[in-house]
Amino acid sequence: MRYISFILGQLARNSRHGWASQVMTLFTVSLSVLIFSFFFLIYTNMQKASSRLGNELRLIVYLEQEVPAAFRQEFKKKITDFDRVEKIAFISKEEAFARLTRQLGQESDVLEDLDPSFLPYSVEIFPSNNLKSLARIKDFSDYLGSLPGAVKVQYGQEWIERFGYFISLLRIIVLLSGALLILTSVFMVSYTIRLTLESRQEELEILRFLGATDRYIRGPVMVEGFLLGLFGAFSGLLSLFFLFQWIKNHFSGPVFMNLFELSFLPLANIGTIFLISLLLCSSGSLISIRKYLKV
Amino acid sequence: MTSDTAPPIDTALIDIVKVTKTYPPDIMALDEVSLAVGHGEMIFLTGVSGAGKTTLLKLLCFLESPTMGLIEMDKKDISKLSGHALQKMRQHIGVAYQDFRLLSKQTVYQNIALAMEVRYENPKKIKQRVLELLANLGLADKIHTPTSKLSRGEQQRVSIARACANKPPLILADEPTGNLDPAATSLVMDLFNRLHEEGTTIIIATHDQAIWQKSSHRIVNLENGKLQEIIKVNFDL
Ligand SMILES: Nc1ncnc2c1ncn2[C@@H]1O[C@H](COP(=O)(O)OP(=O)(O)O)[C@@H](O)[C@H]1O
Ligand SMILES: [Mg+2]
Repeated sequence: MRYISFILGQLARNSRHGWASQVMTLFTVSLSVLIFSFFFLIYTNMQKASSRLGNELRLIVYLEQEVPAAFRQEFKKKITDFDRVEKIAFISKEEAFARLTRQLGQESDVLEDLDPSFLPYSVEIFPSNNLKSLARIKDFSDYLGSLPGAVKVQYGQEWIERFGYFISLLRIIVLLSGALLILTSVFMVSYTIRLTLESRQEELEILRFLGATDRYIRGPVMVEGFLLGLFGAFSGLLSLFFLFQWIKNHFSGPVFMNLFELSFLPLANIGTIFLISLLLCSSGSLISIRKYLKV
Repeated sequence: MTSDTAPPIDTALIDIVKVTKTYPPDIMALDEVSLAVGHGEMIFLTGVSGAGKTTLLKLLCFLESPTMGLIEMDKKDISKLSGHALQKMRQHIGVAYQDFRLLSKQTVYQNIALAMEVRYENPKKIKQRVLELLANLGLADKIHTPTSKLSRGEQQRVSIARACANKPPLILADEPTGNLDPAATSLVMDLFNRLHEEGTTIIIATHDQAIWQKSSHRIVNLENGKLQEIIKVNFDL
């Protein structure tokens, strides 16, 4: 308890000198938390959207001839060799015909005189419902096209492919902004703390003469780093929340919203971001104090 | 009154054995100095300016290390101290530096309290002790003045107060009365004498005859880095 009050007292004394650089650092840390969590937010929302999308997504492989019942198991295995799938359905000519009839509804009389055999055999594949599968849907379709007897592969529209690319890109951006977060917080915090320490050089020297222990000198500096991390994460996430609200209010067009029903980061992710920020800022301060403790 | 005699080695708090200190390029500040200081002793270290007094005190508070020779405190070779042990040792030696080494932007109170804060002393105890010292040294009205605003004599007393704050077992005072008028000098000497009576070991480096002439304590003299004991002749028979 006494230790804590000493630390706070020292902290207040120290921050009187270097508050400008501390505000700068706080700003930088918040900004990088904001950037990272912004992309992370988009990513998680995309992930959700894609799973919604995935439910409707299927690949249809048109075949030269029907796969005999005896070979179906083997055929399925060839498909699942590439990727896990939700479901595989073999569609007979009759069923395809029945579907077409259903789809045409009132106009279905155009089919009246036709024989179902003009329709091809096909296999419907529902890929498993995650981002990874979505991202490599093009490869999957190429693979399916190379299966024996496959004539053509059809799936969704072209934009699903683009969506897959977009998500891969987004993942890279999330990683990059995460790296940015790490670099900026560690460097900025260790830089600010070095400034504080340099402005306290005289004091540190005298503290040394008076027999101050490493713990005594380290304490307030570590707390400073910790608080920078805490407030940085807090204000970064708070700005993200306001940004999120703003986006939600401005882009709530019906079409857009159906696909991307935006939701904020779940609590667990918020907690993780806080933790990471604290960890990074504390290690930033540790880096700069280590040099001084050796003296 | 007779002067104290040198203590037998085995009760010595400090044992300096053939210590030589040379500064680059080849300034010999101390030349094979040997001195034993007993527990609770008060010693005056005299000598003209440049004789090596400050150097000897610096060796005792780890600001310099000897070029040759051995210094033991409590039977431990102090050159072997490092890290935490060194820090703890420093907490038990109060030093009033010749150049004061105060924090100029901080107040008198903060400067003195710092010595106790590094030992995590109770804030109430710190406050009480600082107020007591300031009253003893005639600085009570300067308590919240930044030390840069003080006269040199006042700064000197602040540095002495800081050295005494923890009631450390050993106090090293380098020219503690160098900037003081006779009234302030006697305040400082009264404080040292009280602490000495309580059992503190005190080494006072000084070229001010006035403060040691009337005392009964041991006096050692440095001359060109060589140490010799002075057997004082008492004039007031
Ligand atoms: N850091 C130093 N570098 C070089 N010479 C020094 C240094 N400190 C002291 N000296 C020299 O050592 C001698 C003793 O100095 P000092 O111990 O300060 O004497 P005193 O305190 O008795 O006046 C002097 O000649 C001084 O010039
Ligand atoms: Mg001197």
